[in-house]
Amino acid sequence: MGIGAMARHIPLVLASLVAIFLVAPMAVIVPMSFSKAISFEFPPPGYWTGYYEQYFSSHSWLEATANSFIIAFGAMALTLLVALPAAFGFVRYRFYGKSALNLVMMLPIIVPAVVSALGYYSFLSPLRLVGTHAGMIVAHSVLSIPVAFLVIAAALKGFDLNLERAAMSAGAGPLRTFLWVTLPVLRPGILVGALFAFLHSFNEAVVAIFIAGRDASTLPKRMFESIRLESDPVIAVVSTLLTGAVLIGVLISLFFRQRPSHAA
Amino acid sequence: MSRDGLTAWLLGAPAVACIIVLFIVPIGYVLLLSVTDPTVSLDHYRRFFTVPLYANVMVNTFRTSLIVTVACLALGYPLAYVMARRNDVVAVVFVAAVGLSFWTGFVVRTYAWLVILGNKGPVAATYALAGWGAPPQLLFTSFSSTLGMTHVLLPYMVLALYGVMRKIDPSYMRAAESLGARPFGAFRLVYLPLSLPGVVNGCVLVFTMCLGFYITPILLGTPKDMMISQLISQQIEDLLAWGFASAIAVVLLACTLILLGLYNRFAGLDRLWG
Repeated sequence: MGIGAMARHIPLVLASLVAIFLVAPMAVIVPMSFSKAISFEFPPPGYWTGYYEQYFSSHSWLEATANSFIIAFGAMALTLLVALPAAFGFVRYRFYGKSALNLVMMLPIIVPAVVSALGYYSFLSPLRLVGTHAGMIVAHSVLSIPVAFLVIAAALKGFDLNLERAAMSAGAGPLRTFLWVTLPVLRPGILVGALFAFLHSFNEAVVAIFIAGRDASTLPKRMFESIRLESDPVIAVVSTLLTGAVLIGVLISLFFRQRPSHAA
Repeated sequence: MSRDGLTAWLLGAPAVACIIVLFIVPIGYVLLLSVTDPTVSLDHYRRFFTVPLYANVMVNTFRTSLIVTVACLALGYPLAYVMARRNDVVAVVFVAAVGLSFWTGFVVRTYAWLVILGNKGPVAATYALAGWGAPPQLLFTSFSSTLGMTHVLLPYMVLALYGVMRKIDPSYMRAAESLGARPFGAFRLVYLPLSLPGVVNGCVLVFTMCLGFYITPILLGTPKDMMISQLISQQIEDLLAWGFASAIAVVLLACTLILLGLYNRFAGLDRLWG
């Protein structure tokens, strides 16, 4: 192989190393979760599934898991309710103050999470909403608006308006057109927006650390505190389960994305 | 106002109302607290800008953010380049790797580094196996904090680069090469300039996220080289100094807004997350 031919492979070699750097740390957690060691120890001195049993019988870990799902579902629903019409207004019309609207919609991801967290703590305390599911759902739904808005607006920009014109000219009213044409065509985009909002809440840690308290504690908050205070070996189990769930999700999404190109 | 404008704002009204009442108002509380707790004064700001310790925290925060941004760019560029240029199973595997780390929470990935760099972790085991004796103190240093943040923020850099690179027409590179450019020359003169918007987006995104990063510096870093978020956390947890913590948060917010304001001036903020 000549030097030129070898040079052509440099980007691939570098990219592979970086990809390994991205994934390898998560791969280390998997054997840890089956380890008999009480503290972080690698390679593990022995293997068992004892910490999985501990997770599935621990009231506080299971409660944090349930809270994470409840709060992420609640936040996702509220986010969609306001982000969907906003994305329609933003993409479909030309109007004065469009960039101002965009800026306002993006604020929750512009402001650093610590700042939002301090704000929510001061804001929700007098309302007695710190440490409640309602407080967490409200905070997380606002924080998820930008991601849902971005995804749905992107889907709307790719929507062919001729589909609506065709439905209207065939005699369908605006509502029928929206329900039978617009919504079904946009469904994948809306579902992805919903998924992003859900995951944004599910993974959010900083605001949760400040306002979730004990009763509405989520998995990221519980893990953060566990790492700092007691280094409970169950953290490795939770991390493995979460990483596994994300891996399955990524593989499913790749499967669906690859199919059209195979068909073509 | 035109009829279109009215419809658009009506559709956006619920979201805008939510953000004003449930986001801008809470941020206003932080501003208010920073000048009223415990007494009405600007003392917190005066203290923050005059005590050398806090100047060190600011310098350290900006320096660390710069290092993390450069490291993310150096690591992210080749990965994004290969992802955008190839259309085969390799590209799919790389996209999956980036997606996996992007969607796995910050806490989980930070925990992985605690295990890897810990005194019973694989790094220490390698040292013992090679007979090098005890490894240097890796955990709870600015090194571990910087490494962890680079790992956590790298997917954001890759996705920002990939978003721009994917739109670069591959025929430009072929044209340059057929006109006599060597592969590296074609890359430097054609591809690199076309990918610069992605470089700027990725750097702005990673740098601003790094400035206020909370989880990783607190779990992996050291109080000796604090970043802004560690200082805020210390003020609240150890000293219950909500007023001073709020003032620091306001400074952090101001830094972020100034940076994004500059970006907005030159590029337009709506492109940052495109």
